[in-house]
Amino acid sequence: MAGQIKRMLDSLIEQRAKKNPTLINTTKSKLLLRGIDPDRFDQTSPDDPAVISKVICIAGELGIHVS
Amino acid sequence: MSIQTAYSKKSLPDAVSDIRTQCGNNKPRVVLCFASTKYDPAALSKQLQAAFPDACVAGCSTAGEIANSKMLSESVVAMFLGEDVVEDAALAVVENLSGDPEVVEAFAHFERHFKTPVMSMDLEKYVGLVLVDGLSGSEERLMEKIGARADVFFVGGSAGDDMKFKKTHVLANGRAYTNAAVLALLRLKKGFEVVKTQSFKVTDKVLVATSVDEPHRTVIQFNHKPAIKAYAEAVGVTVDKAASVFMEHPLGLMISGEPFVRSPQRVQDEAMVFYCQIKEGMELRVLDATDIVADTRKAVEAKKAEWGRIAGLIDFHCILRTLELRSKKHCDQYGAIFNGIPCAGFSTYGEQYLGHMNQTSTMLLFR
Repeated sequence: MAGQIKRMLDSLIEQRAKKNPTLINTTKSKLLLRGIDPDRFDQTSPDDPAVISKVICIAGELGIHVS
Repeated sequence: MSIQTAYSKKSLPDAVSDIRTQCGNNKPRVVLCFASTKYDPAALSKQLQAAFPDACVAGCSTAGEIANSKMLSESVVAMFLGEDVVEDAALAVVENLSGDPEVVEAFAHFERHFKTPVMSMDLEKYVGLVLVDGLSGSEERLMEKIGARADVFFVGGSAGDDMKFKKTHVLANGRAYTNAAVLALLRLKKGFEVVKTQSFKVTDKVLVATSVDEPHRTVIQFNHKPAIKAYAEAVGVTVDKAASVFMEHPLGLMISGEPFVRSPQRVQDEAMVFYCQIKEGMELRVLDATDIVADTRKAVEAKKAEWGRIAGLIDFHCILRTLELRSKKHCDQYGAIFNGIPCAGFSTYGEQYLGHMNQTSTMLLFR
């Protein structure tokens, strides 16, 4: 399967930033500083369980549900 | 009173009297102080709070101080923020950092004080300051926790101890703390901007951290090779010479076209220990040093040209930059960048803005 990480990251950024360009930028920056580069994932990226688990963990700390 | 600064090289308690005198009859809303380890932190904090009983007083120990146009040592510097700059302010202390720092209570305190949910605070009016024990090794986790709870920008520095690397302190509410961070949340009247500047050219040489020991800020392998071998190859030196070029060639995590600098500290067997965490899978660029004075001047002048004037500036300035400026005898030139701007700051053991980083001047500019 592929593309789940991108869908999760898109959802995380959308829920946190609410289309505010500044917050989109800072949310992406915070993800990068935690070792997740949102721009490295697309619809064809494999569903790596380790990355999925990391994204779920980050989302949990942000108080956001992604699946 | 807007923004004023002061410094003293006297001993306690005269240094605090000196600072109080330089503030005149003004009653600042916030007093920030950055002090050499020459000063007993508990006594300094208590005396400063007594001298400014109505103010939020916060600070930390340093590895060198900055006041107005001077780079100092063995001094205490202060910045006074008046009611016409800071509409309201609150302080919180986060203790027991080296475990898993918990900021819930700090943010609950801020919400009670400002009667506003932190997540609803206006990003252009509120700004946070963070001063953190520079030997706790917990800055990344602290900033992750802060960043999860708040969209408000928190900016700051890791406390120093004059390069003794034994104990650093943060100061708040008349007390001194170690293994702790002080968070200050300010609601400003006229706005602000955070300027992060580093003096490096980004090269096209890429190192990917393929094996790391995150808690110990150690990279075991870059590009599936022993870290120091891969680094030496990328920089173009032999392994035995690699450590001698760490300051000139740190690594950068690229974010929006700007490097967030990760500075190597030492070689450990074939691994590399850094001054901040590198996560597994991070793609880093090798950086080439440029001119600190010229680059910082350009950043400050650009903002001055845009705003007309800068009402005040706090400079969180990496100790590695200070060491370079000292070795090149460029401290006076660096200080002169801030001519005409009320400026205070200190040489840090790391800077904070969105995360933790090294070898920057991370500046909070008041409009």
